[in-house]
Order: sequence, then structure tokens, then C-alpha cells
Amino acid sequence: MISPYDWQESISQRAQYIENRLRGGSPVVGISINAGTLLHTYRRQVRKVHEVYDRLMFAALGQQADVESLRLTAVDFAHQEGFARSEEDVTIQRVVGFALSNPLRRAHGDITAAPFVMCALFAEMNDAPEDDLFFTLRYDGDFDAGSRYAVVGGTPEAEERMLAELEKAYKPDLTVAKAKALSDKVWRIGADVEGSGEPAPALLQDTRPETGFLDRATTRERKFRLL
Amino acid sequence: MIENRTRSFADLVGFPGCLKIAPAGTKEVRGTTVLALRFDKGILNLGDRRATAANFIMYDKAEKVLSLDDTTLIAISGSFARSVEIVRYLKHAFKYYARTQLQEMSLEGKLQEVSRALAGNLPATLEGIGIFLPVVSARDPRTGDFGIYFYDAMGARFESGDFGAAGSGAERIRGVFDFVSRAKGPFDKRSLNDVLRDGLTMLDIAAQLDTATGGLEHIPPVAKTLTAKGISAVPETELKKAIREVATA
Repeated sequence: MISPYDWQESISQRAQYIENRLRGGSPVVGISINAGTLLHTYRRQVRKVHEVYDRLMFAALGQQADVESLRLTAVDFAHQEGFARSEEDVTIQRVVGFALSNPLRRAHGDITAAPFVMCALFAEMNDAPEDDLFFTLRYDGDFDAGSRYAVVGGTPEAEERMLAELEKAYKPDLTVAKAKALSDKVWRIGADVEGSGEPAPALLQDTRPETGFLDRATTRERKFRLL
Repeated sequence: MIENRTRSFADLVGFPGCLKIAPAGTKEVRGTTVLALRFDKGILNLGDRRATAANFIMYDKAEKVLSLDDTTLIAISGSFARSVEIVRYLKHAFKYYARTQLQEMSLEGKLQEVSRALAGNLPATLEGIGIFLPVVSARDPRTGDFGIYFYDAMGARFESGDFGAAGSGAERIRGVFDFVSRAKGPFDKRSLNDVLRDGLTMLDIAAQLDTATGGLEHIPPVAKTLTAKGISAVPETELKKAIREVATA
């Protein structure tokens, strides 16, 4: 028999366990500029920045299998909806707020199942940078919406430092190359988990940068590409 | 337990059950001529814009040449409602595959998917309504080769060399292709400008012989090209110039 006390205890232990696991994760930086929207991170072998739908992409830190199952749920939902209704009806708000947040919340509350270790950043491209949206989604189903730029990192302190840098340097008219350079700079700030001034060595060892880009101007069917 | 299932868009949306069959006797919108012609740098697709139901002209601005992705064009003939739905299905199936499997579907895979969609549509075809016959133009990104494919109602696929056509008007001009190809040389050795004029002439002839095919004079046909650079529409000024030349010839 599980008492309410046990539940509370185990939920807080769960959160602590997940946050410890996320601490060493590679942060993700999202920037929205006139030319399009980009997500930047570092990866080892497996790709990290993924296209979810025509104007949607995402990248996450955390356990690979958990991230993959989240990704497939998002892709399934987006394509079912896009086919049944219209491409336009597949929005970040519906994918994150409706299709993912609720099941994540339930999974997190189920203390008999393995916890979901991940923290994700979703991006939606629209007609202009000020209309673009970023959603961050946490392991417990909590999500936050924002525009212009967004980050997810291993710790709240790292995220704060990353956002402070973006606040200083962000302009919507940055070129793609400059936006990529800025996101790399911000990633390095976020990867500095201990606050030592250098990215954590584990995050740079055998890794390479990966930048996903949704192109606002292209006439091609496929708006997503890796830079 | 480790579950290992192949993810398919057909399973996800329950194809072909997701397409409802209209009751027999429904008056459907159909009738068309669509052409695919090789030229030196790729494939040109042309389609008239008339949609008819029995002897009514329902609509004169129908889009019958559609892109499935950046390397595949499909020209549709037959039931308009059905074709548009199947094209939507195919488009999503290709995208879904690329996004879940993290690799592009091969050309062979895409052509097979079109076959399956046609086979799934067979009950509707047998009802006498909802027949759908496409011409697929594709560039294989792995080899850079271009191919034109046409299908029968059961999903059998045939690769045609330089040209392909479908629709009620196509029957009447099939021989013209061979004639032009023999008289002027193979299509894939000639420029877009040249092939565009031949294509428009054939469409004009089809319109004169087939009531379900729209002519050139009121609304220009749809003209799209598939090249190594991707898919683009023939610019309107160029198309109108070619139409004027063909009409006065």
C-alpha cells in the first residue's frame, strides 16, 4: 500500500534523480532570425536536432531512448493531424501542450514506472521572427512558451547565464552564420556546468556541433535542413 | 519486452479505410489530359485545368500537377476528389517515413507506395467511381537519373522512356508523341523551350478532340518542371508567350 507520504517522497526523489542525470547533458540553443529559425547543440554519434513537421523541429537533452520515444509521439501526432485536417493546424501549441505534456505528466506521477529523463526545446517557424515560437518541455510535463530565443540546459543556473547572453547579443537581423556563431557561444556558456569559465570536458570530448535550420524563404517542400 | 514494429503511415491513419467510398451512382468530378515530357535538363509536366462531372464543366482552375516532395511530381487523372486525397496521403506517407526513419525513402520505395495506394483504391475503381490514374515523374537523388512512370488501376507500374500521358484526352494523342519523337529527335535531347511548345500543342489538340480537356485560350494550363535543382513552375510570362506562339501556329 502506498501512502500519500510515500508518493510525495518518491516524487521528490524522482525529480532529484532526473535533475542529477540532466546536469551533464548538452544544452540546446534556439534563435529566431529573419532568414529562419535555428536550433544548435553538440552531439556524439546520434543526431539530436530533428524535424517534427513542416515548420516544427526539436532537440532535447536527456536519456536517448526517452528522447526518441518523445520524438516519435510528436511525429505521429503531427502527421495524423496534418493528414486529417490541414498542415496549418499542426502547431507547436497543440503538439507540446496537447499531445505531449499530458502523457508526460501522467508518466511522471506513476511512481512504479521508470522516470522520463529529458528536457526538450521545440521551435515553430512562422512568417516573421516575431511570430516564431519556442516551447520548452520538462520531464514532468511542464512547458513554457517564448519567442525570439530560448534555451534548455542541464541546470537552471546554466540556463539563466545562457539567456543573459542572448538578451545582450540577440538581433532578429543576424545572418545565419552570425546566429550560428552566437548560438555556439551561448552553448559554451551553458555547457560550463561548474561555472569554471570553460565547457565541461565531457561535453566536448568526441562531440561535434549540430545546427538544424528551418528556412523561411525557401520554396522547397522541405524547409528543414542541417547546416 | 522490446516491441519492434515498423512504423508505417498506412497503419497510423488506417489506409485505405480512411478514404471513404462514395455510394455507386454518385456524380463525380473527372476528365483530364496530363502529360509528362522529358527535356535535356529534366522532366516537364503539363495539365489542363478543367474538371467535369458528366457533361458539366465544374471548374476551370483545377491543379492536376502536384509535388509529392522535392524530387517527385505527380500528374493526376480520373476522379478529382479521390486523386487529391490520395496525393495528400502519399505526401504525408513520404514525409512521415523520412521523419521517423531519419532517412529519405528510396525512389523504388516511393513508387511502390504509389502502387499500394492504387491497389487500396481498387474497390472504388470497381464500383465504377473513384478511378485514379497518375503519371509520376521522379528524379532519383542517389543516381541523378530521371524517370517517368505510369500505372494501371490495379497498381502495376510501367516505366516509360521519354514521355507519359494520362486522362481521357491522352488516349487521343498517344500516337502524336511517337510521331514528334521520331520526327524531331528524342525529347531528352531537346531544350525546355522546344519541348514546352510541343507539349502545349498536344494539349491543344487533346482539348479539341476531348470535351473533358480544357483548352489553352482562357486559363493557361499548369506547367511544372522537375530538374536537379528541384521543382518549379514555368514562369507565367514564358508560358503565356509559348501559348501565343502555339495558338497562332
